[in-house]
Amino acid sequence: MSKLIFTEQITGEKFLNSYNLGGPLIELKNVTKAYELGGEKIFALDHINLRIEKGDFIAIMGPSGSGKSTLANVIGGLDTPDEGEILVDETNISKISDSELSKYRNKKIGFIFQSYNLQPMYTALENVMVPLIFSGMSLRNREKRAWDCLKAVGMDDRSKHRPSQLSGGQRQRVCIARALANNPEIIIADEPTGNLDSKKGAEIVSLLKDLNQRDGITLIVITHDPNVAKQAKKIITIKDGRLI
Amino acid sequence: MRFIDYIRLAIKNLGRQKSRTFLTITAITVGSLSLILMLSLLISVRQSLIDQLNNLGAFNLVTVTRDPNSADNNQIISSGNNSPSDDGKIINDATVTAVKKIPNVVSVTPILSAWVKTIKLEGQDKKIWSNVIGFDPSSNVFNLPILAGRNIKSTDMDKIVVGMRFANTYGYGNKPADLIGKKVVFIMEGGGGTPDWGALPAKPPANANKEWWDAQNNKGIELLVEIVGVADNASMDDSQNYINIEWAKRLMTQVRWESPQCDKNQPCDNTMVLTKYDQTEKSGYGSIIINVGDTAHLQSVAAEIAKLGYGVTTAQTMLDQINRIMLLVGVGLAVIGGISLFVAAIGIINTMVMATYERIREIGVMRACGATRAIIRRLFTFEAALLGFWGGVFGIIISYGLIYIAKLIVNKYGASLGNLPLEQIGTFPWWLILSVTGFTTLVGLLSGLGPAIKAARLNPVDALRYE
Repeated sequence: MSKLIFTEQITGEKFLNSYNLGGPLIELKNVTKAYELGGEKIFALDHINLRIEKGDFIAIMGPSGSGKSTLANVIGGLDTPDEGEILVDETNISKISDSELSKYRNKKIGFIFQSYNLQPMYTALENVMVPLIFSGMSLRNREKRAWDCLKAVGMDDRSKHRPSQLSGGQRQRVCIARALANNPEIIIADEPTGNLDSKKGAEIVSLLKDLNQRDGITLIVITHDPNVAKQAKKIITIKDGRLI
Repeated sequence: MRFIDYIRLAIKNLGRQKSRTFLTITAITVGSLSLILMLSLLISVRQSLIDQLNNLGAFNLVTVTRDPNSADNNQIISSGNNSPSDDGKIINDATVTAVKKIPNVVSVTPILSAWVKTIKLEGQDKKIWSNVIGFDPSSNVFNLPILAGRNIKSTDMDKIVVGMRFANTYGYGNKPADLIGKKVVFIMEGGGGTPDWGALPAKPPANANKEWWDAQNNKGIELLVEIVGVADNASMDDSQNYINIEWAKRLMTQVRWESPQCDKNQPCDNTMVLTKYDQTEKSGYGSIIINVGDTAHLQSVAAEIAKLGYGVTTAQTMLDQINRIMLLVGVGLAVIGGISLFVAAIGIINTMVMATYERIREIGVMRACGATRAIIRRLFTFEAALLGFWGGVFGIIISYGLIYIAKLIVNKYGASLGNLPLEQIGTFPWWLILSVTGFTTLVGLLSGLGPAIKAARLNPVDALRYE
């Protein structure tokens, strides 16, 4: 049913409302992803089964190379699995075209990166406007929306600053504002506090937690930090591509 | 994604590396500049040739020449090679009559060039090589573009219409009307006789010796000819001057004192008689020019004349020749212009390859934020096309400037250059402007396509991880 919604290329609004059908928001069935490394097959994801409900706050933990980033990437539609299904609102995103997958990332997902990945030549406001460009919003509406998002993360007074003029914590706030731009259902944060001291890190985590509790955004956070993980409702540990 | 945002992003991204963008655009500008200048030169030269021929109605003219093998001689109004030669068939009044009977022939004139060694303006020392053509003024085959005075009439004998070359030589280029009524001196070789005009040759005295004959032979003959008009026949050889063909025939007739042939019926008695040699009767006219009224009749009339065994030249062969030469020159020029554009294209490719490498992480972020592969591809292609577009625009602006300067120089010193068709150079037709910018934009787009496709194929995960 939801597959039809994708192929009919309906608007984002309808797409966003389509989760009200009940059932889990995200469901992974036997998801497998392997890499060839020196002739040896290494499983980043080894038949993963996982259900994430709407409004969850999930921390994914695990050692380096355990496959936790790959897990986040396949859920976020940045990567596709070799085998298995990823159902988001009952739509199998592992089987859709590039443009549909891009639309999924644009409308449903907000990414937050450890190294922020802000465009150094753009102001904070312009950085937040990037996802809105791809959803075809007019310049005037983009500015308005981006400003609202900056305000939501407490960065509206720094809208004209470039990333180099901002501290690490401020940059991560801009990054969160960018993730919020298209009003996503899911935010995926890959080591959001990895480059920050513990005080700034805690501020970012509490901001993310607010978004989860107040706005009901489903939050998936990859972290090494147990202090971050224990804020989550659920902790998933992954090792050698398997959930333990 | 909106179209306007592609433009906004392309401009913004090109602005990041200002000096690199500037250098790349400069390369395309040079390429388009060479292309524009060469094309406009070619177009204007061709157009002015054709225009000038058209003004004379030259496209309705057929030239009959003696030699059927010299049919591709592209001189429309040939000065008439009426030197005594055995090549081909003689063109005489019978030919003129025969030609007149051909269907669609509107009017006919024989052409005869007078053997005048040099000419000069009376009272001046400077002599110039003559180029004096006789034609039938009553035929109306071609109307000389008269700048001042009038055309030659059938009743004119020692009257001449001079060309602009003559007027310029004696400083009357700007005031041709002042030449009317002045005299041209025809300087001819006597060769022991005179033409059938003016003073007759001196009768040899009874005691005429070798010295006397040598003196007669070396004596030049000068005729005074009244200028009645000045013609600006810029399309053809503007050194040509025109006279009535009847007078030309008289000039081509030699009058000299000779002893009659001695034989047993008429014994030699040493009395000399005045004898006329009509050169035209002997070797005929130089050529015939026919007006066929409409270009459509050129081919049929030419075919009829070829059947008579004469050589034929039509404006069509000339037009074909112009087009063939222009095509050849055009290909050569286009290759030169193409090479510089090719170099510029490599510059664009280089710029775009560097741009994609610099922005790999950014591409990853854009993909994460919802950009499709197609959007990434279009973004970079658009940037490259924009480089090409600006190169084309600057090329046009600069070539306008260069041609403006060239025109200033020509207007100042142009008189000495004769009538080169420089007026028309730089009159860019609108389609040239459009096609040049279109072409450079296309060159940019195609150059950018490779790097853009590569950028679009990047795996977003790898792109985000790229250091």
